[in-house]
Amino acid sequence: MNSRTHPLEGRELAAWMLARAKDAGAEACRVRVHRRRFVSVRYRDRRPDLVSEASTRGLAREVFKAGHYASESTPDLRPASLEGFAAQVLSRALLTEADPFRGLPGRERYGVPPALDLELADPAHASLSLGERHGVARELEAACMDLAGPGLLSVEATANDQDSEEWVLSSDGFEGRERGTEFWTGGLLSLRDEGGRRPESWVYAGVRRRRDLPAVQAVAEELVRRARAGLGAGKIASATLPVVVEGRCAGTLLGGFLAALGGRSLQQGQSFLAGRLGERVGSPAFTLVDDPFIPAGLGSRRYDGDGLPARRRGLVDGGVLRAHLVDWYYSRKLGVEPTTGSPSNLVLPAGGRGLEAALKDLGRCVLVTEIIGGNANPTTGDFSAGIAGSLCEGGRPVRALAEMNIAGNHLQLWQRLIEAAGEPYPWGTLRVPALVFDAVAVSGT
Amino acid sequence: MPAEIEGYFKKEFGIDAGLCRRLLERALSRGGDFADLFFEHTVKDWAGLEDGKVDRSRGEVILGVGIRTVKGAQVGYGFTQDLREEAMLAAAATAASLVNQAARPVAAGFTARRHSGFYSTDPARAGIALEAKIPALKSVHGLCLGASPLVSKVTAGFASSLRRILVATSDGVLAEDCAPLSNFSVQVVVEKGGRRERAGWDLGGRREASTYAPAAVEGLARRAVDRALVLLEAVQPPSGTFAVVLGPGLSGVLLHEAIGHGLEGDLNRTGASTYASSMGARVAGEGVTIVDDATLEGAPGSLHCDDEGTPGQRTVVVEKGMLTGYLHDRISAGHYGAAPTGNGRRQDFTHEPIPRMRNTYLLPGEAAPEDLVREAGQGIYVEDVANGQVRIGEGDFSFYVSQGRLIENGRLGAPIKDVNIMGNGPRLLADIVRVGNDLAHYHGGGGLCGKNGQLVPVGFGMPTCLVRSLTVGGVQAQGGRP
Repeated sequence: MNSRTHPLEGRELAAWMLARAKDAGAEACRVRVHRRRFVSVRYRDRRPDLVSEASTRGLAREVFKAGHYASESTPDLRPASLEGFAAQVLSRALLTEADPFRGLPGRERYGVPPALDLELADPAHASLSLGERHGVARELEAACMDLAGPGLLSVEATANDQDSEEWVLSSDGFEGRERGTEFWTGGLLSLRDEGGRRPESWVYAGVRRRRDLPAVQAVAEELVRRARAGLGAGKIASATLPVVVEGRCAGTLLGGFLAALGGRSLQQGQSFLAGRLGERVGSPAFTLVDDPFIPAGLGSRRYDGDGLPARRRGLVDGGVLRAHLVDWYYSRKLGVEPTTGSPSNLVLPAGGRGLEAALKDLGRCVLVTEIIGGNANPTTGDFSAGIAGSLCEGGRPVRALAEMNIAGNHLQLWQRLIEAAGEPYPWGTLRVPALVFDAVAVSGT
Repeated sequence: MPAEIEGYFKKEFGIDAGLCRRLLERALSRGGDFADLFFEHTVKDWAGLEDGKVDRSRGEVILGVGIRTVKGAQVGYGFTQDLREEAMLAAAATAASLVNQAARPVAAGFTARRHSGFYSTDPARAGIALEAKIPALKSVHGLCLGASPLVSKVTAGFASSLRRILVATSDGVLAEDCAPLSNFSVQVVVEKGGRRERAGWDLGGRREASTYAPAAVEGLARRAVDRALVLLEAVQPPSGTFAVVLGPGLSGVLLHEAIGHGLEGDLNRTGASTYASSMGARVAGEGVTIVDDATLEGAPGSLHCDDEGTPGQRTVVVEKGMLTGYLHDRISAGHYGAAPTGNGRRQDFTHEPIPRMRNTYLLPGEAAPEDLVREAGQGIYVEDVANGQVRIGEGDFSFYVSQGRLIENGRLGAPIKDVNIMGNGPRLLADIVRVGNDLAHYHGGGGLCGKNGQLVPVGFGMPTCLVRSLTVGGVQAQGGRP
């Protein structure tokens, strides 16, 4: 090594660690080197409230020897520290018990990652100035103040972005490199209401290409609209009602289903979806696709955490369970072919008509705009969660709702999905439209 | 005489008083009220058991410095993992860029703050080596399988960390700490007649390695299995509004969500909290006194000093039903003209400190726990709480009951599970009818509280408590019609 303080970076650093692991007697090794630059500007009271900026980096390695396995990471990339880190390459792994299922997938499994430009990195990031970031946050806060008027209690507006890059090298021939940018604009807003309540709203829009960010005015309008929708909220009587869950909060609900799809849950007897491949687990309206190839998608990728090539995969097709989410390790333990350990972008295709039309057809129903807390039991499928939203009649909100719950079991819930309405939520890895269930237990007074 | 930094960061990274001064001077080179440095070196270690083998482990290091310039409530923040002077000066310049005024001087010297023994800071006693975790984890497998023939799967994880920090401020405070945190958690799956349930138990906190003696591990396994076996008989309860008896210990999550967050100084300073205009007002009955406490020995939220260098302390937020104080960091304390309460915490050096809870609990009353169940008549008894959340402006909170009992005719009845409970914070406080004499604290070290994208370890405590009414998210509607 030469005398520079940081002689190795990126791919070279990963290759160096791989070579040192091999020299130390590791049978196999995978190294991930990453770096990230992050800037955030937040405005409140027409002033910058928080300006934060930094670069981080780190190295993570997994080592394998005769079934022994360990993973370790360090941000300390000073040559002397790295030497020490490299000198202990096997000490952690050899303390653990051998596990015959541990290992890397092998060269033949990696194939060639698709030669696609997923447009994950926006070159415009490099020229974005601190002044422009201030401008976005300042304008968003000002627009919220103008729109909300005298009922406004509190607003904060944020613009943040990052540029990150990773290199992955494995001793059995995998090599991956990905660079990505993200730009986020959004805020929190609260209004004055009767009885000391302060209805609050949040909107955070995130994209990979800066030009895809929504206009500041549109974000402000949504913040104010959502907070106003919570004015005067209260409970209604417990009942079983049609329930519509907005796409942006469907994640909590879907999360309970996804947890049971995972290889570890399946292998450990903690999944209500074990042994159900090919069976009906939902209504014909329930389709779920893991799509890693959406251009500029926040979850898009060419390879997964095991280095397996990304693939578009139907998880649920017209209500029939088609695939579990099984990584390389649990595929060996379960004796099945791996799919992927973690989904990329999850798409629930829209049914074709708008939310308003769907609401109109439902008559009296609950529109859920927030899920608060709640949880699901992946072993049994039972779930229960707090909600806020509106009671709708004839397609229109007639009463703001708060302090209520929905509950049930996933094995029944998805059978009651009658429609996916409106546009999918665009600002996340979960691209889900509003989910329309014809009957869910709703509890209130 | 300026106090020299004698401790860990000087020895390991060459961080001395002169360097701290230079960084602070850079952070205040364009003005500001004060600046601070937060050095962190955290070493984390985890080992896991699955299918009878301790076949996985993970090590992680967090190392870096966060540099903050503060003017009023405005914050400039730069951080770096690179502890060379030039990289740290660049981070200080980032922090300084917030303001554009004349430089502000830095105090001539540093005074080290004193701390008391809320936990061991001796790595030799508080650190838990991987070698020590493996036999403990290994034993849990057999203990759980031996406890009941219905146990089909056992998983366990044993995590520990040592978090060393050094805080230096432009007004001359120097604080250094080494805080251990560990958690041993066991989950079991039980099966009977085609029905399958899973439950677990934790043991942890800022504890010494000796906590995890064989008898304690045996108790941990026994509790995990007992919890799971009860679930085999449990149902989701009916939905509606019921009297709720909160069992001792973990149900303190409810206090954390229902009132704790609402009392964090930043959320009141900005007017976002439902409690923003309640200071000095009656918010609960005479029997309700709530504290947030950094001084509980071994508890996961205890702190010798917070991440701004303020000494750890016990803060009474509600005294005999009256709202007496908010939880402050330096910025919110400045806004209210109050003293910081030692609640300025951060997930790690990449984040600015904000007001956060530590160990939050309700002081015990005089009622016998069984009397509260009798008084409830019909309702829900809460034993285990998995997670919670609050909407800070409305005060509406949610907590998920993983295990409990129905209360029927004043007695504990059938076990229940997997039910979310919703309520409103201010109304809940007013609805606490009676408080039991059996205060208990969360037994684990895995309780994390999330706010503004930052997770910090916290503790909870609760005596048995009777609440007049809460919304229970069960499955069978009572009194409602489709």
